[in-house]
Amino acid sequence: MAQRRLLMGTALAAPLLARAAVAQVPAPAAPAMAPGFYRFKLGQFTVTTIYDGFRIMPVQGLVRNAPLEEVQAVLAESFLGPTDYRNIYAVTIVDTGRDLVVFDTGNGPQAPGATLGRLLATMPAAGLDPARVSAVVISHFHGDHINGLITAEGGAAFPNAEVVVPTREWAWWTEAGNETRSPAGQRPNFANTARRFAPYAGKIRQLTDGAEAVPGIRMHAAEGHSPGHTIWHIADGAAELVYLADITHRPELIARRPDYETLFDFDGAAGAATRRRVLDRMAADRVRVTGFHFPFPATGFILREAQGFRFVPADWG
Amino acid sequence: MTIARRIALAAPAVMIAAGALPAMAQAPAAAPAGQAPGFYRFKVGGWTITTVHDGFFRRPLEGFVRNAPIAEVQGILAENFMATDTLAVPFTITFAQKDATLVVFDAGNGVTPAAATNGKMIGNMAAAGIDPARVTHVIQSHFHGDHINGLLNAANAAAFPNAEIIVPAAEWAWWTEASNESRSPEGQRPQFANVPRRFAPYQGKIRQVAAGVEVLPGITSIAAYGHTPGHTLYRIADGAEQMIFVADITNRPEFMMRRPEWQIVFDFDGDMAAASRRRVLDMLATDRIRVTGYHFPFPANGYVARHVSGGVQGFIFVPAEWSSAV
Repeated sequence: MAQRRLLMGTALAAPLLARAAVAQVPAPAAPAMAPGFYRFKLGQFTVTTIYDGFRIMPVQGLVRNAPLEEVQAVLAESFLGPTDYRNIYAVTIVDTGRDLVVFDTGNGPQAPGATLGRLLATMPAAGLDPARVSAVVISHFHGDHINGLITAEGGAAFPNAEVVVPTREWAWWTEAGNETRSPAGQRPNFANTARRFAPYAGKIRQLTDGAEAVPGIRMHAAEGHSPGHTIWHIADGAAELVYLADITHRPELIARRPDYETLFDFDGAAGAATRRRVLDRMAADRVRVTGFHFPFPATGFILREAQGFRFVPADWG
Repeated sequence: MTIARRIALAAPAVMIAAGALPAMAQAPAAAPAGQAPGFYRFKVGGWTITTVHDGFFRRPLEGFVRNAPIAEVQGILAENFMATDTLAVPFTITFAQKDATLVVFDAGNGVTPAAATNGKMIGNMAAAGIDPARVTHVIQSHFHGDHINGLLNAANAAAFPNAEIIVPAAEWAWWTEASNESRSPEGQRPQFANVPRRFAPYQGKIRQVAAGVEVLPGITSIAAYGHTPGHTLYRIADGAEQMIFVADITNRPEFMMRRPEWQIVFDFDGDMAAASRRRVLDMLATDRIRVTGYHFPFPANGYVARHVSGGVQGFIFVPAEWSSAV
């Protein structure tokens, strides 16, 4: 009986009610997307990852030492398309209580409407003030990692920060004599390095393998992708995180096929050897990681699988 | 003189200490704000899909899977870097908007105590710019409490005051017939009281639908019975673009896709649920259809791929990538 009553009522009343209400109320302008930040605790530290955006580039030519069809097949297993490769960028920020540390700076100032270079615009949504950043730690000097050191006006994006750089990376890109010894595609880094670090003269600290940038944050050499490419171990007591920087490009492709060399690599063979060594360690230790080109929110774990490794995103919480 | 040497000379330790340390001392690290609001958007043809996080509920792992040793369950959870003593079951609600139609698939946990970890949907809807009064249709997959409790607001009135409620006829028939109570698993008997209570403010606005029919233009029901007597999925399509809201075809996919034969404590008919699960997952993997799932890790959308682990042919959930561009 209850069922019959409800059925009869439906056809008559519901459409009238629903449509009348819809017609009266214009749709509000909904925010297109939640702000691109994600937060988790690491001991007493607070880690925030920030989406700096993305750039679409061709799959063709991305991997230098494997046939295109093979690359496309690996991408398809992760439901990624065969022609457009989405290069994604995520910045890791750690608040240790003593320091507010930004790892790499993203793509920096861009033309209006660009899909990348969003770090400075997104930090306030995450309650983070660039002027309060005490240290900017740079993994290596490719443009997508250092361009955000400066504002659109050319000043320091992090005016009160010390900038911590790997000694070997600094040595390579600040020595003009190395230009002809670098792959052609990487030669613009020489001019770009000088330009991006300029506002920080006197506030740049070079660091060697195994040294601490600030208490709780230690550098580890992971060279190959660039001459002084580094990863960073972040620990508060027993809680650990490794910022993997560019140890892989998108893990759906390069973690699963660690021997692939990309067009971004300075020394592809050395990069691949380093990658295998580091990913093997991450998988064995089951340590939480963040990565610069990992799918947002760019944090999770590394798992061994048949031909390489798989990135397992951490649970959103 | 090289740039490197110039800078090395120009940046002695003294200057760094003098320049950087006072600034650090003055500006203690900012007190961090909370998590970003839990909503995510993507397009399926002309549909704008929004997934909204309703929080999570943590329960003991013991007893959750009824037909596998707990050590085996723990092994799979550990492989997925999940806790092995408790299970956090997340809730994510799928919205679909096109023109004047705004549909919500299932109603969430509704109003919960302030300290509860579930019941976050209301706040996250507001952050996403979704007004419950503008929802034109609530489409139910099934009648478990975490899916229907949110039909009521804090005043026990209709949380979606202008919406038609679309329910699977098989589900409605079971839970509205009192004589079925003794034929239901003991843990599910409270549904018989909960169902009339939650649907009460919608008298005259409830439409029962069969399986395999277009319930609204572009939205089709798909029977997937077992988890409950009328558990139903919905295909959302516009032209060649489509996705499927797979509701509770699995609980957390990290283990229930890997082992589709496992049956959980919430299953009404575990054997039938497992058969439906395998059939649906097989179809999703073959057709490579984007899905949203009610208990998937947020933002709870992605794809299903075949996967062998421990000698078992199962599936894995592949999250779709997060993008700032809808």
